[in-house]
Amino acid sequence: MARSPKTHRVKITNSKSVINCATNQTILQAAIAAGIDYPYACASGNCGTCMGRLEDGKVSMLPRGDAALSPKQAKARFTLACRARPRGPVTITWLGADRDV
Amino acid sequence: MSISDKRDRACQKFMAKVHEITAKEGITPSALHQIKKKLVSLANKEALFPLSDFTMPVAAGRNHPLLVEDDDGHGLYLTINMPGKEAAPHDHGIWCVNAAISGCELHQFFRRTDNGAIPGHATVEQTGEVMVEPGNGMAMGDHDIHSTIVVGKEPAIGLALYGYALASFPSVVWYHSEFSSVRALPSRRGANAA
Repeated sequence: MARSPKTHRVKITNSKSVINCATNQTILQAAIAAGIDYPYACASGNCGTCMGRLEDGKVSMLPRGDAALSPKQAKARFTLACRARPRGPVTITWLGADRDV
Repeated sequence: MSISDKRDRACQKFMAKVHEITAKEGITPSALHQIKKKLVSLANKEALFPLSDFTMPVAAGRNHPLLVEDDDGHGLYLTINMPGKEAAPHDHGIWCVNAAISGCELHQFFRRTDNGAIPGHATVEQTGEVMVEPGNGMAMGDHDIHSTIVVGKEPAIGLALYGYALASFPSVVWYHSEFSSVRALPSRRGANAA
């Protein structure tokens, strides 16, 4: 019998919610599955609409376009929810229309 | 003459052909097919596009402008996308033509199947696909929907011609089967179009 992938707790500060996110799932996928109105557009690492600040924890990233998240932004702990898979408990805040990074 | 000069000259010659075709036919499937053949010929001249002249992506995808026309004209780019780099089904709002220099990128085509009555909701179904690899390309009209993914272990390096420069794109509309959703990015036409 196939084992279910491990899950991690992801806290989304904007919606004041804590969700479970499997290690083979992106934070965006888990958020939408949990009914959270997370901002996104391309959901494939090209546009940056789902950019958020990683307040705590670590993620692994699926391939993304350079323009969607600059190295400077990545260094400053910004991430893309559509590309980020949790490597442990994570706290994230989406930027939405208030982005200024 | 340097490779860069030869490349510039080849790109200008290509763009002149594009205008010749569209002046005669407008933007029709036949015209886009002819443009695709010209772009494939240009991409086949691999010596004009040495990788040493183009920075590799920091993450997984980068566009290098080759010839961006003034006065809200067309944009020709060299694109480098790393293995696994993908784009969900989307509609550019403007026609585009792609041709491969090296590597393989799978393009899948879709059509919308809902009536657009529910805001933010959409369903799409796949209608076809083409592998853009050396010697091959693809063309799509203004509101055609496609997705892309780089397959194999090599970067996909290619040429992309768009009806407008990327900085002047209309709203790009993204479709997600997984979420049965549609999301539109704001148009860049207001700020950058002449």
